Amino acid sequence: MLSESWRHYFEWAGNTWLGTTIRDTVWAFPLIETFHLLALAVLLGTVLIINLRVFGLGKRYAPAAQMARQLEPWMLVSLGVLIASGIPMAFSEPMKCFESISFPVKMVLIVLGIAFQFTAQRRWVMSGDAGAGKAKLAALASIFIWTAVGAAGKGIPYI
Amino acid sequence: MSILSFCEWLQNLGWASGIKHSSWQFPVIESIHSLALSVMLWPAALLDLRLLDVFMRRRPVSQVSAQFLPWIWTGFVVMVLTGVMLFAAEAVKCYNSPFFRMKLVLLAFAGFNAFLFHSTVFRGVELWDKDAPTPRRAKLAGAASLVIWVGVVAMGRALAYA
Repeated sequence: MLSESWRHYFEWAGNTWLGTTIRDTVWAFPLIETFHLLALAVLLGTVLIINLRVFGLGKRYAPAAQMARQLEPWMLVSLGVLIASGIPMAFSEPMKCFESISFPVKMVLIVLGIAFQFTAQRRWVMSGDAGAGKAKLAALASIFIWTAVGAAGKGIPYI
Repeated sequence: MSILSFCEWLQNLGWASGIKHSSWQFPVIESIHSLALSVMLWPAALLDLRLLDVFMRRRPVSQVSAQFLPWIWTGFVVMVLTGVMLFAAEAVKCYNSPFFRMKLVLLAFAGFNAFLFHSTVFRGVELWDKDAPTPRRAKLAGAASLVIWVGVVAMGRALAYA
């Protein structure tokens, strides 16, 4: 749970035009969440395809580096959609986010996932060095981080 | 037995009411249901995008299809299993929801579309597998699949709130 000093930022978010409009429009939240969920499928699906290739899944079809290069743009686009749809959702129910453990955990994991993508993933997985121990470790870590991001998101209304 | 009384019977089964009344089972199953979208829906969308000549244009359609069909089927099995569990826990609510009914109709469309594609135009895939634009019927099947699945996800979300 976040410390009390953060409370007024969350209260402010809930009182913005964005927050009140989404709350007052019945279909707005499920509609935004649909885009959020579709983008999550794109992000996580791409992460799985790229990283499981390191373990040999789909090696008949394309070299690891080529597959990773082809798919990475989808990952970045979906990340953009996730952030763009995630912000309005958080603004519409900021106090739920403030009181949950899942929300701060999710935010930390997202920052970790992005940092990891541009460092370890680029160096060991995207380079196509498939089979190397470091690549496998980085691939597992990436799958774990992004799956946890999705699961933590589902957890926000509950814990 | 009417459909409604079937739904009542179903949600009163021990395991179904167990899911509903547990503090964690429903959200955990729902998370798996949502995460499995990435195993089923995105590989399916990649195949659709290939059919539309938007993505991976230089790879043969048959190869893209061979790569992603195992993903699609694996994800689909998980989605159906978890979907049935979620439905059983809230069967009467689902029965009464227009969004759930629409979701079933869209799923039937998706199945029919895939069946039609595989039993007709895909049979002659050698002719347009590579270096040739996809025939219009295959493009249509790809576009329909994309639209239908977006609708399925939207109905699922609407169902959760109404």
